[in-house]
Amino acid sequence: MNKLKLAIVGCGAITQGIHLPVTALSNQVEVTVLVDKFLPRAHELADKYGVPVVADEYREIIGKADAAIVSLPNYLHAPVTIDLLQHEVHVLVEKPMALKTSNCDEMIEAASNTGAVLAVGLVRRFYGSSQFVKQIVENGLLGNILGFDLREGIIFRWAVASDSMFRKEAAGGGVLVDIGPHALDLLLWWLGGYTSVEYYDDAMGGVEADCELHLRLQCGASGVVELSRTRNLRNSWIIRGERGTLEVGTGFNPLIRLKTKNRDVVLAGRVARDGVADKTIQDVFRRQFDDFVDAILSHREPFVPGQEGRRAVELVETCYALRQPSKQPWMFLEGPRHGALESALP
Amino acid sequence: MRSTQFDLSGKRVLVTGGTGFIGGRLVERLVLEHKADVRVLVRNFARAPRIARFPIEMVQGDVTRPGDVERAVSGCEVVFHCAYGNQGNREMQRLVNVEGTRNVLAAALHARVKRVVYLSTLMVYGTTPDGDLDEVAPRRYSGNIYADSKLDAERIAFDYIEKHGLSVAILQPTAVYGPFAPVWAVDVLQRLKTEHVILVNGGDGLCNAVYIDDAVSAILLAAVKESAVGEAFLISGEQPVTWRDFYGGYARMLGTAEMVSVSAAELLKAHYAQKRRKTKGILRETLSILREDPLIRERLLRTPEVVLLTKAGRSLLPKPIRQSLKRRIGSNSRTSRPQVASEREKPLRPMSPPTVQFYAAKTRVRIGKAKRMLGYQPAFDLESGMRLTEQWARWANLL
Ligand SMILES: NC(=O)c1ccc[n+]([C@@H]2O[C@H](COP(=O)([O-])OP(=O)(O)OC[C@H]3O[C@@H](n4cnc5c(N)ncnc54)[C@H](OP(=O)(O)O)[C@@H]3O)[C@@H](O)[C@H]2O)c1
Ligand SMILES: NC(=O)c1ccc[n+]([C@@H]2O[C@H](COP(=O)([O-])OP(=O)(O)OC[C@H]3O[C@@H](n4cnc5c(N)ncnc54)[C@H](O)[C@@H]3O)[C@@H](O)[C@H]2O)c1
Repeated sequence: MNKLKLAIVGCGAITQGIHLPVTALSNQVEVTVLVDKFLPRAHELADKYGVPVVADEYREIIGKADAAIVSLPNYLHAPVTIDLLQHEVHVLVEKPMALKTSNCDEMIEAASNTGAVLAVGLVRRFYGSSQFVKQIVENGLLGNILGFDLREGIIFRWAVASDSMFRKEAAGGGVLVDIGPHALDLLLWWLGGYTSVEYYDDAMGGVEADCELHLRLQCGASGVVELSRTRNLRNSWIIRGERGTLEVGTGFNPLIRLKTKNRDVVLAGRVARDGVADKTIQDVFRRQFDDFVDAILSHREPFVPGQEGRRAVELVETCYALRQPSKQPWMFLEGPRHGALESALP
Repeated sequence: MRSTQFDLSGKRVLVTGGTGFIGGRLVERLVLEHKADVRVLVRNFARAPRIARFPIEMVQGDVTRPGDVERAVSGCEVVFHCAYGNQGNREMQRLVNVEGTRNVLAAALHARVKRVVYLSTLMVYGTTPDGDLDEVAPRRYSGNIYADSKLDAERIAFDYIEKHGLSVAILQPTAVYGPFAPVWAVDVLQRLKTEHVILVNGGDGLCNAVYIDDAVSAILLAAVKESAVGEAFLISGEQPVTWRDFYGGYARMLGTAEMVSVSAAELLKAHYAQKRRKTKGILRETLSILREDPLIRERLLRTPEVVLLTKAGRSLLPKPIRQSLKRRIGSNSRTSRPQVASEREKPLRPMSPPTVQFYAAKTRVRIGKAKRMLGYQPAFDLESGMRLTEQWARWANLL
């Protein structure tokens, strides 16, 4: 069987750290093109992984690749993905799927018009722990869900190759559009749709470093999602049901604690699949990639298709539309001399 | 004085060290209050989330690379030089503090920058004596790499003023505390959580502290007042407070943290006794680095190895002193909250003679010059400064 020809578009931190090491190990694909507008980086990685073609323009992959991973700055996800899908190139697009719901719709439409596969890189759905939570909730082990609480934050240290993550026009926002797609996707996947949201963040003309969402869900549960790039937070989900409480870490292969109602009995442990736990985060990305390839080869929907990726984008978009400034009393000095806040807000 | 002051609004200004504590707050206020057009020299984008909340320009670069600095300075009317060597070995720190400052001043001269505000430190006066201290006090080397290299950098700044006529204003802040302060907030809280903090002489020594917003107000004044040029200004709060009150403020935030009073004499005795004892070379070396510089400690303290080392440090204290400390820790608990087991487990960290001296001194930093010539007036006392610091620390998940 001929190997699938794969292009990787965008050779930044995630491509170098994850996508290339993962795809290089696949025996179903061959990476044939690397694209980055900063050519030296693409060349360096091409040399390391033996990729024959390098380009600084994504359109050059058309005709040279059957499928592509799009890991460009956020604002380019939609236009590049749509163009590739229209040329029948299958696409795995990094999160966030797009910056606007309307773009998601165009992406979904382009895929359905040509039959190309559109998969969204919401990798946390492939965590064993995420699938375990989904099953616990779906099987009713916790009873009706009453509330949830997510505090996710670390003092930022992702080794970005450029400042695109901090430029509003390139990133589309800050921590909400960065971590939000992962976190909110899980919330909506596990617990179902939302009915209302209040949103607060600390952006003042740039991109937010910290934000907080107060959500009410269709299932009746309500709760808080807090995300941060400046603070080390608890880094876990707490999901409270009528019959018990589940706490699950946000990281890779996290500890899960299950506590039954009114009992001090706690079950704590890590999820394994057929007795084996994931060893590295690459294992999880490999499952995501294998799913994408299998969807292409067996002409089926990927595990996270465009319709699913769209949900978190919709919630992020709604949050920005309803934005209120966070209350940070240490930010603003009192008195008329220091009253410049209102006019400084976007 | 109003007539000899210019407006920062719409002016392009450069902040070095903008990803740090003081520079970060300066960026916020330059944007919010002055509507300045702010550019920041960023060494590592991963440290940029706080300033990226504002519509600013980020230029990637390192102060030790002249080309980077020239690019960043070009087109700016005012340069705020807040970067300093906060990591690496002695040579690296010296390189950033001394050569980095020289690069900034040279680029500013070349680009005809209208004003440079350089952040020096109280520590250029070396070990300060009891009593009043103002800007006429002699500068002295103290053997501390941070203080000595900052003194060399300050001398270069005076050189640029005198020989090249560059318009530089120099500020010498004392202990700057407040939200995001690495040394005087994060580190203090961390220490109170993980060890028994020793109060030298019961914390009677004087702490010249200044709340971050007062320090930043002084920086902003130094940028706009003509009278600032060619001068150095000590910047502190209105009055010194005791170290007991300063550490006590943080201990109260934590609720259960206990401190222990030890006299300077006992601490020095412990230090020399420990020096006489044979310890494995490498361990002793590490301990002495640890003790030497509170700025290095802040970074080191986060690693588990250091927790182990500080535990090892406790066993280096001579037994009688350890026991007497233990008694005092025990007796303290009657007046404070019930002691939790982990309180007893906390190690005591030995103190070097310069550190003992630093905490024992009753120096009163006078801020008359800054008041007179800059119109500086601190707006925060310890209580109001700590109130905001506490609100931030709670939010930052540090309490
Ligand atoms: N805090 C105090 O109590 C106090 C008291 C007196 C004087 N001062 C003076 O105030 C100034 C600011 O101190 P701080 O407390 O704000 O320190 P800080 O939080 O540690 O910030 C230091 C800044 O310098 C930057 N930096 C370090 N090396 C650099 C290099 N080679 N090139 C470019 N940037 C570099 C750091 O960048 P990264 O973010 O990449 O590390 C960071 O932005 C310093 O000059 C210090 O001497 C402080
Ligand atoms: N799934 C995850 O957990 C995860 C983790 C990190 C990043 N990401 C996503 O991956 C994407 C990339 O993130 P990163 O951290 O690698 O960013 P990065 O800034 O390190 O890399 C972006 C790369 O894109 C290149 N580029 C920019 N514009 C281009 C253009 N027009 N044509 C070709 N190349 C161009 C840049 O030169 C750079 O090499 C983002 O959308 C991010 O959200 C996902």
